[in-house]
Amino acid sequence: MSEVQRRKYSQEQKNAIFDGEFMPNIDSMYNFAYRLTFDEDDAKDLVQDTYLKAYRFINSFEQGTNAKAWLFRILKNSFINEYRKKSKQPAKVDYQEVETYYNSDDVDYQSTTDLRAESVKGMLGDEISNALNSLAVDFRTVIILCDLEGFTYEEMAKILDIPIGTVRSRLHRARNLLKDKLKGYAQHMGYDTDEEEN
Amino acid sequence: MDMNEETSESRKLKCDDTSKCFQLLESILDGEIDNSKEVLKEKLAKCQPCFEHFHLEQAIRDVLKTRCTKQEVPTELADCIRQKIQEIK
Ligand SMILES: [Zn+2]
Repeated sequence: MSEVQRRKYSQEQKNAIFDGEFMPNIDSMYNFAYRLTFDEDDAKDLVQDTYLKAYRFINSFEQGTNAKAWLFRILKNSFINEYRKKSKQPAKVDYQEVETYYNSDDVDYQSTTDLRAESVKGMLGDEISNALNSLAVDFRTVIILCDLEGFTYEEMAKILDIPIGTVRSRLHRARNLLKDKLKGYAQHMGYDTDEEEN
Repeated sequence: MDMNEETSESRKLKCDDTSKCFQLLESILDGEIDNSKEVLKEKLAKCQPCFEHFHLEQAIRDVLKTRCTKQEVPTELADCIRQKIQEIK
């Protein structure tokens, strides 16, 4: 957003971009905002602010590039700069989780033999959603961008302002954390797991 | 392509390089690798840990993509935005 504003688009062009490329993404934007804030009003404000900024800075949007990725980047930045501070969600547990993970000496890629694909497939939408929502915001975000919204690693790197290598490793960590949550549900619900019930 | 048709008897039970294999499998699942079909077929036919990891990772992506509850967008939100845009035009 630091780009100098040039007079690039006419009023008609602006309207066309806004209606044709920006507004069709409102469902995805709202869902992203809701999963960041967990609050309907905050999510609405965040989406609205994002669209107002998008309109104000429309001249720095290159037509033909991915409008959805551009909008998601604005939303993510607004969330970090404005909403994260006043978030109603306590972050204590999240940080602990992040710290444990970053400081662990575990080999990065290892098999999770005690969670089966079959038990994951048997889970309900609410269980999946809850597991996702319980992750720290940085981990939650990469999963939303990749799996729910279908962004590529490269697009995610741009949205999040991090290198592609970091996208890959954060995504891997995020999915491992998610697997731990799902494993907990699987055991609790009596789904089939390899682990003996205690 | 059905990944389940191979029998597990022909697979080795220990992966030679879990880090490398799993990272590759995850990149394939995320659509980051072109022409991955042959590599994938060979890996999954030969290595049990890779086979299991792939199916678990695939299941997780599938349920996230298809079953994660979507929040309904408030009906007035789009109108509200358009109105605010009119004001700053
Ligand atoms: Zn292997």
